[in-house]
Amino acid sequence: MNLLDIRNLSIELDTPSGRVLAVDRVSLSIKEGEVRGLVGESGSGKSLLAQAIIGVLEDKWHVHADRFHWRGIDLLRLSIDERRALLCRDIAMIFQEPMSCLDPTTLIGEQLSEAIDTSQLTGYFWQRKKQRKDAVIKLLHKVGIKKHVQCINSYPHQLTEAICQRVMIAIALAGRPILLIADEPTAAMESTTQGQIFRLLANLNQLKNMSILLISHDLENLTHWTNTITVMYSGQFVEAGSTEQIFNKPMHPYTRALVDSSTKANLQLPSKSRLMTLPGSIPVLQHLPIGCRLGPRCPRAQQSCVAAPKVSNYHGHKVSCHFPLLRETGKKESVRHKASKGKR
Amino acid sequence: MSVLLDVKDIAKSYKLKGHWYHKRKFNALSPLSFAIEAKKTLAIVGETGSGKSTLAKILVGAENPTSGKIYLNGQLLQNQHFKQRCQHIRMIFQDSGTTLNPSLTIQELLDEPLILNTALNEKQRKQLIRTTLQKVGLLGDHMNFYPHMFSGGQKQRISLARAIILQPQVIILDEALAALDPSLRSQMINLLLDLQQQMGLAYILISHNLGIVRHFSDEVMIMSQGEVVESGKTIEVMRNPQHKTTQKLMMSQNFQLK
Repeated sequence: MNLLDIRNLSIELDTPSGRVLAVDRVSLSIKEGEVRGLVGESGSGKSLLAQAIIGVLEDKWHVHADRFHWRGIDLLRLSIDERRALLCRDIAMIFQEPMSCLDPTTLIGEQLSEAIDTSQLTGYFWQRKKQRKDAVIKLLHKVGIKKHVQCINSYPHQLTEAICQRVMIAIALAGRPILLIADEPTAAMESTTQGQIFRLLANLNQLKNMSILLISHDLENLTHWTNTITVMYSGQFVEAGSTEQIFNKPMHPYTRALVDSSTKANLQLPSKSRLMTLPGSIPVLQHLPIGCRLGPRCPRAQQSCVAAPKVSNYHGHKVSCHFPLLRETGKKESVRHKASKGKR
Repeated sequence: MSVLLDVKDIAKSYKLKGHWYHKRKFNALSPLSFAIEAKKTLAIVGETGSGKSTLAKILVGAENPTSGKIYLNGQLLQNQHFKQRCQHIRMIFQDSGTTLNPSLTIQELLDEPLILNTALNEKQRKQLIRTTLQKVGLLGDHMNFYPHMFSGGQKQRISLARAIILQPQVIILDEALAALDPSLRSQMINLLLDLQQQMGLAYILISHNLGIVRHFSDEVMIMSQGEVVESGKTIEVMRNPQHKTTQKLMMSQNFQLK
């Protein structure tokens, strides 16, 4: 069953020169127990989409959708308060730069106990305090922090970034969410700590059957950890499918360029040879091309690309392009190896 | 080919607060030596606190080494002698947005090193700025723009233009590719490789991303806690990592070279 089912979600922004369509009819569905990657470069609207899902966008953004269902409940029909109550029970979010998201003036222990809902505690009021403390320690153990006494009694600046991100994950887990949205959880972290955080998220996914929406700008770092991937470009839906489909048989020219420009996926290339790349740069919000927004940069663009393409489905591999790359031969050995490892 | 930059036994230690008869020292960099040839790239890989940024600062002259010598083309580079050094060794930083002065136009930005280091007149300088901007894939007319008018990838190109405008021999890329989006990063890598061939530049690349290191560099140096733990040809080191730090780094990025 689909946990989250979004069809044709658009987000518009009020500007002095009229409304700008920042996210243009994006569809996203998340199944139970799935790790879905959401990949897009800066300005692709991936963070906006995540914020629209949990409903924390400011008033100047206008969200429309054909369908916006959470476990069969239509969120668009609910009032804001009902919706908030529902989502804060079921969805949690963690952000990049954990240091700046934690309160610098409050001890970690207090911040964690704040996040624990009273409904989770049982017994009389004089037993609650101890229960709360035990729950905090349990949460810290869950995210792999063994020195809980030291951690509870320290401020965010006294801890390393990786520990802070673990604390953030612990706070997110306090409400026992069904879906965790991780918005670039490892940006600006070292590769060894990045690995730790990703492994922790993968463990939580396996042990607690928690679905994860993993947002990142880099396709190559993500493929090891995801089951399915959705790619966005400049606010438009590009391609969605399983990790192997996206990595081995990309159908959209943009995904193809992303895979080809990745230095990790092309280990057989001789070093210092030229990498495949798209010309030009990412369009800014004020000057978006009409139709397919990749148009001016796309090597396969033709006249019909001035109209936005419809999404077509090839065995669960959805692609939004007038001229998809259908017959791709020559699978990349190293990539297939990686993708199969990620499934474990 | 002859050696371009030769670094001999560079070390750096900082004095820490301590009692006056009980002085404490922190060794940021243990003595290390290496050499680079023209048109070659040396990659420096390591975790935070491994001393790679300290090494970059010493090479570019922002810090003085505690001991050791640096030779460029066989000539000794003196500490505090910036005029000699800044013409030959230039540096590009990670975040190009904050390293460009927002109150100057691109022309003024690129003019500064020329006024300070060359005897060119105004017309020649303008011409040089124009050709340099074209070399990094921008238009000559971009010189009248301010930095905020450019996107992240273009700003990084301007930093590159500022680095190459004095015809240097060595460029230090301190995580210069890390903050870029993937499609712009591959453009930048292609541009850097082209310039290396055209101008005979030597690069010192500081990076975590082993994929880029594999593609971009000829030699690699892996550092941990101020020491070089492994060095050699990139392909050989990555095929057969010997030291624990290297193996851990490669494991954490799921990186395997067959």
